Amino acid sequence: MSGGIARGRLAEERKAWRKNHPHGFVAKPETGPDGAINLMIWQCIIPGKSSTDWEGGYFPLTLHFSEDYPSKPPKCKFPQGFFHPNVYPSGTVCLSILNEDSGWRPAITVKQILIGIQDLLDQPNPADPAQTDGYQLFIQEPAEYKRRVRQQAKQYPPVL
Amino acid sequence: MMEEFSEELEPLFDYRRVQPLNVVCLDDDDLDAPSASPKRRKISDSAVEKVDDTAKAVSVIDCGDKEEEDWLPPPPKVSLDAKLRGEDSTLRELRLKKQELASLAQSAENVMRAVEESVKRELSDSLEAVAEKPSKPRCERNKIVLSIQDKDGAKQFRIYVDDKFERLFKMYADKAKLDLKSLVFCFDGDKIGPAATPDALGMEDNDIIEVRVTSS
Repeated sequence: MSGGIARGRLAEERKAWRKNHPHGFVAKPETGPDGAINLMIWQCIIPGKSSTDWEGGYFPLTLHFSEDYPSKPPKCKFPQGFFHPNVYPSGTVCLSILNEDSGWRPAITVKQILIGIQDLLDQPNPADPAQTDGYQLFIQEPAEYKRRVRQQAKQYPPVL
Repeated sequence: MMEEFSEELEPLFDYRRVQPLNVVCLDDDDLDAPSASPKRRKISDSAVEKVDDTAKAVSVIDCGDKEEEDWLPPPPKVSLDAKLRGEDSTLRELRLKKQELASLAQSAENVMRAVEESVKRELSDSLEAVAEKPSKPRCERNKIVLSIQDKDGAKQFRIYVDDKFERLFKMYADKAKLDLKSLVFCFDGDKIGPAATPDALGMEDNDIIEVRVTSS
């Protein structure tokens, strides 16, 4: 029955999102080729914060919910090879609130997850690196890090 | 004083009450016979006059029926005669005849009125039906409340679910004093074309449309 709980909660999350969400964000359940909606996988967009090097980028993120949601957090994935100190090479985001054994609480909403990840973009956590490339440049070559971030933002332009 | 007053007022007052009674009770006209008291006569006289008025008014509609009764002298004369000669049997007959006529006319008028009303009702009904037919699809055109959200906040708009978005977008651009060409409207991350409609995109009340100003 936990699956029923997960889907019920996700349906509520989606309903709430449609009525109210922060500007520039997108979060919608995946639609299959047959038009069927899969509430367990959400396609999202996180806009880079303005006045940061991330500005202008609209970064795609996929949320994978398990049948144990909301007891367990969703897995949040950027595209493979996403440049950020706290993103695994696979694209999976490493963030305390997304860790079942750490900061996750069932009450955390999809909106809070996405805003949390947006915050993380410009405020990496050097104490918890997930990739070498991003981490080393962030620590050792701030200028190059900045350039790479800006370059990546350009790679994810908004829909025109 | 009081008596005088009431006597003066009575005919005026009585008339309305008595009149329909006379008309209804025409068949037992014998009842009318003992009405020989002067006071009573006055009342009935004025009643006759009044009846005649209605008869005249009705006669416009009732021309054909009246033809054979045309021999009747004009109404004011009758009442005058009645006053002068008192209770004359022929006059009484005449008066009764008048009342009969009046009641006939009255009933004819009632019938006419009833027919007229029913026709009117039918007509208005059919008119309404006719008027409703083209308006029905309009009634079924549901409206939807949508928010257009930019980085500073959201504004709500109410549009038809089958309305093309170009109208809403133009309205928004005008309100925001922005060039429509520089605006991009998105729903769930997808750009909304000007020809799309809320219905076609499966939108619900209070859904959010994101608007962004392009730098180019």
